[in-house]
Formats: sequence, structure tokens, C-alpha cells
Amino acid sequence: MNTLLIRRKIIPVTLLFAAFIFSHRSFAQTDTTSKAAKDSIALLRLIEQQMQSAPQTAPQVAPQQTRSGISANPDIGVVADFRTSYISQGKRNFDAYLNETEMSFQSVVDPYIRADFFISLGRDPVTHKYGATVEEGYLTSLSLPAKLQLKVGKFREAVGKINPVHPHALPFIDMPNAYTNYFGDDGLNDEGVSLSWLVPNKAFYQELIFQATSGQEESPAFSRGDNNRAVYLGHLKNFFTLSENATLEFGLTGITGPNDSSSITNIAAADLTYKWKPVQMNTYRSLTWQTEFFYSNAKYNAGRMSNSLGMYSFLETQLAQRWFLTGRYDYAQKPYDRNIVETAYSLTAGWLATEFQKIEIEGKFTHVNVQPDYTQFWLRWIFVIGAHGAHQY
Amino acid sequence: MKKIISVLVLFAIISGANATIKVVTTTMDTKSIAELIGGNKVSVMSIATGYQNPHFVDPKPSYIISLSNADLFVTIGLDLETGWSPQLVASSRNSKIQKGSPGYVDASEAVGLLQVPSALNRGEGDIHIYGNPHYWLDPINGKVIARNIANGLERIDPSNKAFYEANLNAFLAKVDVKLKEWEAKMAPFRGTKIIAYHNEWVYFERRFGLQIVDFMEPKPGIPPSPSQLVKVIGEVKADKIKVIISSPYFTTSSSDVVAAQTGVKVLTMATSTGAFPAVKNYFDLFDYDIDQLVAVLK
Repeated sequence: MNTLLIRRKIIPVTLLFAAFIFSHRSFAQTDTTSKAAKDSIALLRLIEQQMQSAPQTAPQVAPQQTRSGISANPDIGVVADFRTSYISQGKRNFDAYLNETEMSFQSVVDPYIRADFFISLGRDPVTHKYGATVEEGYLTSLSLPAKLQLKVGKFREAVGKINPVHPHALPFIDMPNAYTNYFGDDGLNDEGVSLSWLVPNKAFYQELIFQATSGQEESPAFSRGDNNRAVYLGHLKNFFTLSENATLEFGLTGITGPNDSSSITNIAAADLTYKWKPVQMNTYRSLTWQTEFFYSNAKYNAGRMSNSLGMYSFLETQLAQRWFLTGRYDYAQKPYDRNIVETAYSLTAGWLATEFQKIEIEGKFTHVNVQPDYTQFWLRWIFVIGAHGAHQY
Repeated sequence: MKKIISVLVLFAIISGANATIKVVTTTMDTKSIAELIGGNKVSVMSIATGYQNPHFVDPKPSYIISLSNADLFVTIGLDLETGWSPQLVASSRNSKIQKGSPGYVDASEAVGLLQVPSALNRGEGDIHIYGNPHYWLDPINGKVIARNIANGLERIDPSNKAFYEANLNAFLAKVDVKLKEWEAKMAPFRGTKIIAYHNEWVYFERRFGLQIVDFMEPKPGIPPSPSQLVKVIGEVKADKIKVIISSPYFTTSSSDVVAAQTGVKVLTMATSTGAFPAVKNYFDLFDYDIDQLVAVLK
């Protein structure tokens, strides 16, 4: 009986104390602290009711008011990518290696910006030694007016659909030939500034992006060289909701910048993506058809100029909750000589154990008109620990 | 010229006075409650449908259009939507609805949470660091959600505080009335053992006195394995379990195997408002689920 009386006294005192704390915690960023305190007391009355009215049949699950894991640290995650590879050429044609370990640090900085850092630890394909690079490190504005968003730092540039995505999120292991011919294995990823504008179009989503980067990070198409010319990029993204289950995206990209001949390369690109995924059973079946076209106009020394084309198209189907199959076709002319033409066919099977682990195997056949055909196989095992944010749709 | 300016100012004042508060919610349950509290002062859009797994919503850019124009954003919180909503909100370019702003409402504030882990170990499956996030499936928690949404509306639209408070009080009173009705219907089945597909019914279980003895998923987020089916079949037989409850976004193929072996019924319940055409609002959700359960458990 005494215990019951003590409890009756302690609980209201505790609740009042909690109300005081709560009122200072929840809405500290508004000017309505006194109102919030009253609201909090009302909330606590509800909680008291909740506690008092809890049925007796399930005593094993008591309500808890505390939350774990709250800290000022950024979200930290690690994505690792272990690979084996085979190519039907050369003497040393099999390899097994930890391809990349990506460490991410992501957080809101203050009410105005957020910061995202991705540090990549990877093996140099030539020296076979591991080294660290900043894959991306940028801040993004959260509160610019006029539907503008600013990004400053080092980032994967807004070329079509593949380039902005981290490789571990792609449904194949190697990159399309046309993509690597123009931008390299690591893609167009450079330091600079990006300004995007959400076009006030209520009929469909439209985003216009303008980026200016230094060209310091060399790619086959662009290289800063000895001058101050930057790489400029414009991208228009158009996104249509066809139905509850289907979407279509069409994008246009234009890039101009210096190349390694101290002259200019211009690239035009177009991307088209159709996605189907039933909203209701969205973890069991899906289909993506994605195609990108590239056209390059490269000026070299002594007035030489080369125009080239490239494209890829893939179809990814989700066969079951954990199984994915992706077929891809590549066509690529070499940017410096359009008469060298590569065509390739690849098939990738993926097994998704959980959101945090996936195993993929890919086979690829490549035909090049100036050298013997060759075949490649890869196995990739990706695993994630810690926090991992959402990828772009 | 002065007349034109006066007319324009008057027009702006009138249109401002009649403008509705634009609310975007992550789920249909918070949409329903926001509509009941906000009445004709709000227009509400939910990103997820009622028959969609709220853990896995694709962050389609089209949602950014709604978020960029929103005055209030309501999230279930507790990392339920961690795979999609933070990216959408960050891309919205709308400072009014960023976390910490007056237009950001975490509906889980002050909810009495269940299954809060003492440590995060993904070896236990896809567990939630802050606790089980399916708290709206207890109508008493619906009252806390309503209070949080009313607080949010009053922060950004204090001139209509009395209106929101009146609607809130009507909502709270209706929950009290309906809760007695629901508890009376479920009273004969207090302590009844059942199986669930996914660990999302703990708040419903606790409120209505059911006892979930196992799940079709061996661990949260892990698809049913043959050994788990064998285990569940044994439990169904041993405890004479009458029903396996599931959700509209899970296949019932594995539950059907257990049903074929034991005769247990497989019942797809509504986890959210809008899961089925009959579940039009937050109260319908419990009406529907309890009627379905009672019909099976009788």
C-alpha cells in the first residue's frame, strides 16, 4: 500500500519534470516555448493514459520513453566491394581483390547546409597498392530562395544517369564502354560548383543543373592542362509519372571543356529511363530500361578534329524478391578515332541477401574491329555496415 | 494607379486569407489525422499509399514538387522512412519543412515506444535503432500523433489555433468512444495466440491483448526460410493457432504453405489507412482490422 502511494506521488512529479525537459527540448527552435510546454503537458497526459490503459495480457513489452543512439556525430557508413575478375587475354588474367572501400560521413551542418563526404580506399590497378582518395566531398544548400540548390566541393557530375550514381548501386559490375571511353572508369568527378533550379512546372518534374568544375581530375575527354579554362556542364532532367507503377525520365546534357591537347572537347548526351515497379508489391518485382547516347566533338592540335558516338542500353528485371538479371548492349567509337569501334554484350545476375549485402556475377563479350574478341567475367560481393543513405531514383 | 495597387493588395490579402495550409505526410495515417485536425484549412498529400510497404518507397523526383511547396511535413520518424524521405526533404529546397523548422512534425514525439534495442546488431535482422516504428497501430498513439500534428499546424498558422484545438478535442473524444467499442469486440479473444508475417503489429497486439508467438520472417526483413516454415507449422499445431496475419504488401505464398499443412487461416490486414477501399480514414483502419480478426477468431 505504501509502495502504491509512493508511486502515485513519484509518477506525477516525474511527469512534470519530464514536461519541463520536453518543453525545452522539442521546440527550442521555435518562438513558442510556453505554448510548447502546455502542449507537452497535454501530450504527457496522453502518455499517462496510455500507460494506465495498457492491458495486462502482454506485460513483457513495457513502454519506454528513452531513445538510443542519439549523438552529434555524422551518419557514418562503410561500403566494401570485393571482386574477382577474369579476362580471356594475357598471361595474368585472373585477379581477386578488395576493389573499393567507401567510407561515408553525412550530416546536416546547420539550418542552411548539409555536408556529404565519401572517402574511397582502393587498389591502384597499375601499382596494386592501396590508397585513399576523396571520392566526393561537398556541401549542399538547404534554404536558397527561388527553388535553387547550390552544391560546392568535389562531386560526381550530372551527366545522364550513370555518372551521378556510386558504382556499388549500379546493376552491373563494369561500366559501359562508351562511358569509360569519354569519362574513364571513375566517371566525371571533379571540384567545382553546381547550381540546380527546380523549374516551377506543376505538370511534371523538371530540374535544370549548371555545373562549373576545374578540370583538375583528368578524364579521357577533359583535362585542365596549363590554362584556367574550366569544364562547363548543363543538364535538363524531365521526369514523368506515367502511372502509379511506371515512370519515364528524359534528360539532356551538354559539356564543354579543355582536353589534353589544350583544345576543346564538346559532348552532347541524352538519357531515357523507363521504370516499372508495382507500388503494392514493391519488393518483389520491378523492371528498368535505361539508355544513354553520347556524341563527342573533340578538337586536337594542328586543327585535327574527331567526332564520335557511343551508347549503351540495359534492361534490368527483378525476377523475385532477391534475384535480379540485367542484360546490356554497348556501342562505342573511340573518341580520338571513330573508325575504332567496340560492341559488347553483357549479362549480370544479382542476389540481394538483404539491403546490406549483395552478390553479383557478370559475363561480358566484347568485339573490337581492330583486335581479337575477348570475354570477361567478374564476381562482386558488396556489403554495407553503419548508416547508408538513399540512392537517387 | 493607386486604385490598381489597392485592388492588388486586397486581392493578395483575400487570397492569403483563403489559402489552405499545404501538408505533405509520409503515410496515409498521418494524412487522415491531419485532415481530421486541419479540416478545410488544409490540403494534405501523402507520399506513400496505404497498401505500400512504408520501409521501401521509391524517392521519385515527382514527390519533390509537392514537398517544395509544402507548409508542413509530417513524418512517422524513428527511421521508418530513412531510406527515402530524408533525401526527398533535402532536395525540396524548402527551408520551412527541414528538420528543426516550425513546419517539420515528427509524429513519434512523446509516443511510448516498444522494442527499443539496447544495441544495434543487424545480425538480428532489419531492426530499428529507435524502437519499433509501427506505433500508429495503437489508437492511443493516434491521439499523440494528432496532438503533434495540431502543434505543428498551430505553429505555422496560430490564427486558427482554436479551430485546430476544437478538431483535436473532437478527434480525441472519438478515439475514446471507438476504443471502448474496439476493446469490447476484442475482449473475448484476449490472450489469443497468433502468428504474424512481419514484426509490425506489436502496438496493436499490446492494445488489444493478442499474443504473437512467432513471425513468418525468421528475423525482421529476412524472407521466410524452409526451417522457419517447419517451426511455424509446429507452433500452429501445438498452440492450435487460428490465424496468420499479414499485410497487403507481402506475398502470402509462404503463409499459404503453413495454411495447407495446418488449416490455419491467412488474413491480410490493413496496416494503414487506404490499404483497402473500405479503409477510408484512421478510424476505419481499426474497424476493418478488428472486424476481420473477430470473424476469423470466432
